[in-house]
Amino acid sequence: MPTIDKMIFGNGPLGPSLAPWIRQRPTLQKFWARWSNWYKNAAGYRQKGYLYDDLIPEENPTVQKAISRLPANVSYDRVYRMRRGLIQSMLHTSLPKEQWTKAEKDERYLTPLIEQVVAEEKEREEWDTMIVEKLRQRKEGKKNIFG
Amino acid sequence: MYSVARLSRSQPILKNVIKRSVSSSAPQPASAGGVSVIGFENKGPAATSSLTVALKAGSRYESIPGVAHVLKNFAFKATDSASSLRTARETELYGGVLSASLTREHLFLSAEFLRGDEEHFLSVFSSLLSSSKYYPHELNELVLPVVESETLQAHASPSVLALDIAHSLAFRRGLGNSLYASPNYPVTIDDVKSFAHTASAKSNIAVIGTGISTEALSSAVSSAFGSGSSPAGSGLTGGATKYFGGEARLPLDIHGPPTALPTVVVAFGSSSPATADLKVLKQLLGGESSLKWSPGSSPLSQAAAKIPGASAKAFLLPYSDASLFGVVVTAPTSVQTKTLAEEVVNVIKAAAKGAKDDEVKRAVAKATFADAISSETLDGLVSSVGPALFAGGAIKPESFSSVSASSVSKAATELLKAKPTVVAIGNVAVLPYADELGL
Repeated sequence: MPTIDKMIFGNGPLGPSLAPWIRQRPTLQKFWARWSNWYKNAAGYRQKGYLYDDLIPEENPTVQKAISRLPANVSYDRVYRMRRGLIQSMLHTSLPKEQWTKAEKDERYLTPLIEQVVAEEKEREEWDTMIVEKLRQRKEGKKNIFG
Repeated sequence: MYSVARLSRSQPILKNVIKRSVSSSAPQPASAGGVSVIGFENKGPAATSSLTVALKAGSRYESIPGVAHVLKNFAFKATDSASSLRTARETELYGGVLSASLTREHLFLSAEFLRGDEEHFLSVFSSLLSSSKYYPHELNELVLPVVESETLQAHASPSVLALDIAHSLAFRRGLGNSLYASPNYPVTIDDVKSFAHTASAKSNIAVIGTGISTEALSSAVSSAFGSGSSPAGSGLTGGATKYFGGEARLPLDIHGPPTALPTVVVAFGSSSPATADLKVLKQLLGGESSLKWSPGSSPLSQAAAKIPGASAKAFLLPYSDASLFGVVVTAPTSVQTKTLAEEVVNVIKAAAKGAKDDEVKRAVAKATFADAISSETLDGLVSSVGPALFAGGAIKPESFSSVSASSVSKAATELLKAKPTVVAIGNVAVLPYADELGL
């Protein structure tokens, strides 16, 4: 399970999330899922035809890279939803009810890719800031201190 | 030294000097769990070793144009055990060099490193062969830009382009496939995956090591590749090669670099592997100088020396079941290229009519040396040993003892009988057609 600071700071552009912590606890997740679904419906994006991942702020290099990795058809669908949603916002209406996003269709198509990019950036940073030390010297040094 | 050839009998002193402790200790290939393996222990105090995995996955075997070129650039990318960044950075820490090269028949993946680091680099290769991820985003972000620039670079050089076209004219399919991916034939990630899967079958792999004994290498390979890493299967197969020949004429790209000169390639192919006679014929026609600041004494270099900035070089490209022999002619202008090409054809015809004994002797000595020195570099060693391992033959130096002036002339006559392959790149209004060259 991730530590608290990783949950808050280690998520990149996805922002702080308690989701991994909640997912570890099945009872809590069962209780929480009801509220989360209620919240998502109340937020109003499903009524405009968006998916949850359409709402992630994209104005940063990490998410831009993740978007560039989307398969072509998923990328077109994303743009289509954005344009449709923009028109609904301008008209101050919602889509007809049969076109609302259904809960089972509301899948996280972008989050795994953002996580992949974040992991790559983290790995690169680790390699860029690594310190090479000779194993034998370190062992000898330790021996001197404790022995 | 493992590939010393015999010099002709007229040079007994040299023979003793060059013949070092060799042929008795020539290593023999072994089989490690279905993978053929050979290790060469370096002479001298060399502190480096190298490992090369040869895959029978050259452009000859590709199912979709360019897939072999893309696969070459997919080497050392993400696997189950390491990302591409990790592989690169770890190699840097070990002080090693990873490289991949593609020929028409084989794909060579090489690692050169300090002695004692075999274990790490073997594990890099075994994970590469068994669990490469082939991510679509790696194809788009890391692989395709390199593929594109390599293709552009090749097409910017008229001689590389002319040889590529000469192959497609000479052999049409199979060996005629271009070495370079083309923007006209997009390669998808699924194409790469299926090509790589067939290519990494055990019967399709050979491992060549230097600075390591065959026994040590084969035990390391069977433990590294042993755990069901590469799939069993038949590997890639191509059809038999047939020589066709033909003619192609292209305008020279005026946006090319100033080094891109009008080029004519005159080539003759045959659907049998390169013989010792052809190797000697290449040296006999020559074109390369053995001395600095001198055009050399070979007929081709003499012909080229008349035009400043021109060159005419004989080449011999050996393949497992075919060979392509020819001359690359370049000169600063198309008119000069035409003049030189006509002279070159006369030189080839003169060689077919009859070669002088002392000239052939000189060419035999040169060919023997070229054959021996080629295995001193890793590139040369791998490109001669790799095909031999797949063919199942013994690794032995070429024997030039049967070559004589008459056998060389006969080989040249045989070549001239076949339909020539002529590629002209430059001002096509000026450059000659094959029949105008007298072929």
